[in-house]
Amino acid sequence: MQGFQQGLLMPAGKRRAARWLTSAIAMAGLLAGCGGGGTSETAATAAAASERSGTLAARKRSESAVMPTRAEATRFLTQATFGAAEADIQRVMNAGYDAWLNDQFAMPANPSYYYNRYKAEDAEAKAGGTKVRAGGDTIFSSFYTRALTAPDQLRQRVSFALSQIMVVSALDVNGDNTAAVASYTDMLNRNAFGNYRSLLQDATLHPAMGDYLSHLKNRKEDNRIGRVPDQNFAREVMQLFSIGLVRLRLDGTPRLGADGKVMETYTQSDIIGLSRVFTGWSWGGPDTSEPRFNGLPSARDPERLHIPLQAYPQWHSTMEKTFLGVTIPAQATADPHASLKTALDTIANHPNVGPFIGRQLIQRLVTSNPNAGYVRRVANVFNNNGAGVRGDMKAVVRAVLLDSDARSTWAPKSPTFGKLKEPVLRLTAFLRHYGATSDSGRYLIVRTDDPGLALAQTPLRSNSVFNFYRPGYVPAGSQAGAQAMTVPEMQITHEGSVAGYVNYMRNVVDRGVGLKGVDNLGTRPDVQISVQAELGVSTDSAALVDMVMGKLLAGQSLPALRTEIIAAVDSMPLPRLKPDNSNLAWYETVQRRRVNIALLLTLASHEYLIQR
Amino acid sequence: MKHISRRDFLRRASALSAMGAVSPLAMNLAGIGNAVAATAADYKALVCVYLTGGNDAYNTVLATDPASWGAYTQVRCQDPDPIGLREPGVQALRDSTAPFSDQLGGALPIAPMHNQGRSFALHPSMSGVRDLFESRRLAVVSNVGPLLRPTTKEDYDTRTALLPPRLFSHNDQQSVWQSLRGEGATAGWGGRLVEPFLADNGGSMFSSITMQGAAVWVNGVSLPSYQMAMTGPIRIGDADGLLFGSAVAQAKLEGIMRNARSTHVMAVDHAALSVRSNDAERILRDALPAAGAGPWGTPDVVPGAIDPLLAYTNPDNGLVEQNSLAAQMQTVLRTIAARGALGIKRQVFFVNLDGFDTHNEHARKHASLVARLSHALAYLDTTLRVMGLADNVTAFTASDFGRGFACNGDGTDHGWGGHHFVLGGAVRGGDVYGEFPSYGVSDTLGNYSSEDQLANGVLLPKLSVDQYGATLAQWFGQSAADSEKMFPNLTNFAVQNLGFMA
Repeated sequence: MQGFQQGLLMPAGKRRAARWLTSAIAMAGLLAGCGGGGTSETAATAAAASERSGTLAARKRSESAVMPTRAEATRFLTQATFGAAEADIQRVMNAGYDAWLNDQFAMPANPSYYYNRYKAEDAEAKAGGTKVRAGGDTIFSSFYTRALTAPDQLRQRVSFALSQIMVVSALDVNGDNTAAVASYTDMLNRNAFGNYRSLLQDATLHPAMGDYLSHLKNRKEDNRIGRVPDQNFAREVMQLFSIGLVRLRLDGTPRLGADGKVMETYTQSDIIGLSRVFTGWSWGGPDTSEPRFNGLPSARDPERLHIPLQAYPQWHSTMEKTFLGVTIPAQATADPHASLKTALDTIANHPNVGPFIGRQLIQRLVTSNPNAGYVRRVANVFNNNGAGVRGDMKAVVRAVLLDSDARSTWAPKSPTFGKLKEPVLRLTAFLRHYGATSDSGRYLIVRTDDPGLALAQTPLRSNSVFNFYRPGYVPAGSQAGAQAMTVPEMQITHEGSVAGYVNYMRNVVDRGVGLKGVDNLGTRPDVQISVQAELGVSTDSAALVDMVMGKLLAGQSLPALRTEIIAAVDSMPLPRLKPDNSNLAWYETVQRRRVNIALLLTLASHEYLIQR
Repeated sequence: MKHISRRDFLRRASALSAMGAVSPLAMNLAGIGNAVAATAADYKALVCVYLTGGNDAYNTVLATDPASWGAYTQVRCQDPDPIGLREPGVQALRDSTAPFSDQLGGALPIAPMHNQGRSFALHPSMSGVRDLFESRRLAVVSNVGPLLRPTTKEDYDTRTALLPPRLFSHNDQQSVWQSLRGEGATAGWGGRLVEPFLADNGGSMFSSITMQGAAVWVNGVSLPSYQMAMTGPIRIGDADGLLFGSAVAQAKLEGIMRNARSTHVMAVDHAALSVRSNDAERILRDALPAAGAGPWGTPDVVPGAIDPLLAYTNPDNGLVEQNSLAAQMQTVLRTIAARGALGIKRQVFFVNLDGFDTHNEHARKHASLVARLSHALAYLDTTLRVMGLADNVTAFTASDFGRGFACNGDGTDHGWGGHHFVLGGAVRGGDVYGEFPSYGVSDTLGNYSSEDQLANGVLLPKLSVDQYGATLAQWFGQSAADSEKMFPNLTNFAVQNLGFMA
């Protein structure tokens, strides 16, 4: 990992050599201490080693001209964006990964896209002139608008990852409070390339989080009536947003005590201590009156769903607060800001944060079951970006995406590396590859929760603060499970959902996707794909299938799949077009069916579902 | 495309296995068991009714003797947002401006056969459960939770006790309840319980079924659960068996999904899942009776309308709404009705109701949830009796944990022990099992006067999940010796069968 960090600061030529060295060290580590991987991991490693030596030789031959191939660029962009767009592929192929990352890091965040759009569409709905649906679905349409069209793809993708770590869900938020979830998503966007400590604080004090994990309006203890502080946020901020349940080594594996057992990071008494910190925080506004604390209609700031929570010292516990080995002494005068600073500093500086957050970012972007070396290298960068800064998210994202494992030539051939694409990413990638446009300009794709009829996943709307799936999920009765591999996305994949996904995509391919206009009374779904090029070659089934597989499967050579899809297309032969064009409509119907068959069968393939 | 016959299916499945295209997950399971009609006499099913989020036991089963009630009202009935319920006998106030507890009315008294010198009541929105208790079809098992061995408050407070891992954490306690291990476990005691009966079921993949979502309880060591959508299996493609007009394309689609064409573990696993999805739907398409074609449903319900049997009145808003838990049970009942066609003799089901993590707005949220639980249990029992299967099916509740006694403003926090229900004709109902905990009050440091209550009024369990599970398992047919193997802490407890099953 030392080599990698140096690599960031080295000139390009030396950097490459350092990266290979790092990779060799990581491999040695893997071979030596292959805990959960089992035999196939070792086999993969051996295969990878021979693969790599060949590639290395090839690279030495043309040191000056090495740039990512089209396949490599596409693979990288599948990890870093919502679907590899042609312009991005070209940029990566011509300028390299670093240059593309630098482009992305340089793009400023749109500071309040979701919130402003929510407010505008909500006002439109409330004006009553049109039959716009209730504002709640706006945030999902906002998500798809950004995922499908925003140039700052990396920021969008990383904030989607963060939305699955520091979770608030639109599911349990009612009515106007949906605006808070919109604003929260903007907050994640702003912080995606910032510092973890700021992200942690902004998430803590965001009204959406306060509402979701109930530290908003949380009052200090009152022994007279037996009231105690709400413990919800105190528990989940540690368990899910920062350090997790057990002490970790830098490489993300559990640190064991003298008795050989895992060591829990905190106990119930830490929860009780920390719960006192999160008392006395409620709605922001110009004063700290009781009505404002309670959110009474008479004292609601119009921007309260957007501005941070503020401190109400009168409701902040002055009791001693002990947690994670730190004690905030009893306060003569309640000082909620001082309590909060100590608490968040303590949490953010806990040695678990790097491996705990790093591993999850790797899982969201690159691979479900990263090896210890990968996690360690990313955690090292979290702990120190090379300039002495802890929690630099830009450096962490760069480390995740440019890691020797992520960019290796062995990984795409490994039988364990990669991830099952979550359903939302399958949809966005397809729509981006097929030039999706929105009739309304709003990309009116809304809830897609239903596993039997849709995607079993709606962005920003997980079932609970535990996200759609758990980072530690090990699928039962499976080959992955037999190797104790974590595969989070398998938690929402089951007998019903595999059918539901294909049926949903069948309709997307055939008709487009989303509401039929803002009133849902129009004639076609709002988001439409373009298959003009495919229709142009639809008379030639091989050419058609090659075009589709080229776009959706990055031009991999997959002869078995190709043969099957071609046979399926050929089962729908084009009629001979009559000279008077009297059967033109039928001819065009068959043309489109041939395209649809090619598209759907590709989208249903494991080659598409699994990002390697 | 015509659906395949059973013989074709078996031939095809074995052919696929020979090609090595499917993982063990699909290979060792057939869809159909012995094609002999299973009679009621040799059928048993266990239904886990999981209350996700941690059910507040204090407001589910109430102790109403003066000492307990005094502590309860002192701790729980404080302004401004009381989470306490009203005493039995209080008339429900039909006034939406009244405090919510007054709108609900008083708790519903129950009279157990052995009252332990106490008196008891149920949440006012649980009249269905009250009736089941009074007719001795339902038992209360009190203060159950994960325990490694009998544990005292002193053991806990002085940290001398050996404790289950990661208490108070949702995902881990869900896993401990269901698998007796923390998160990451892949086999639970429901799946493991049915696994030895697989041969009797002809190896059917329908031996173990979860409705809506992965749950470790239903997974065996080598028996993955079948996950069913709420309304039944989902068919790949259109009802006419054509994909964009082509039967060949439909067949190719299924083939592409069923075959991994790769050694990547996720491709292999996903392909195996697709095989299961495809085969199961093909079988259930014929075997599963329609929602309106039996005592579990109402004939000719207009699409989009709610089957009256699945409708409950939500006490939060007074509206008649679909009960998602009852809807899951409807599919369970349809599946049980298909047991003859599927050749199943022993079966486990997992259904779940989410939303019990009531950190805030506790009173309204909890009332709505227990109303659904009560309605769904009553619906299950009524229907099973009509089907003549009341003695063959046992349902029981489980949950992450109970909740604290203390109020955090308008909600409650994570706890440990909790009270549970067991329902069925084979249950020795109408009684409260386990020594019901005594309730105390808190001093200024948050210490409770009861030996059964820890900080925050968390219940220290007296009965372990091992004992609770073993009692159910032994009804299902497990030997006492096998219970000791499956429930790792069972031998640490003097009583290994709690006696609530006949």
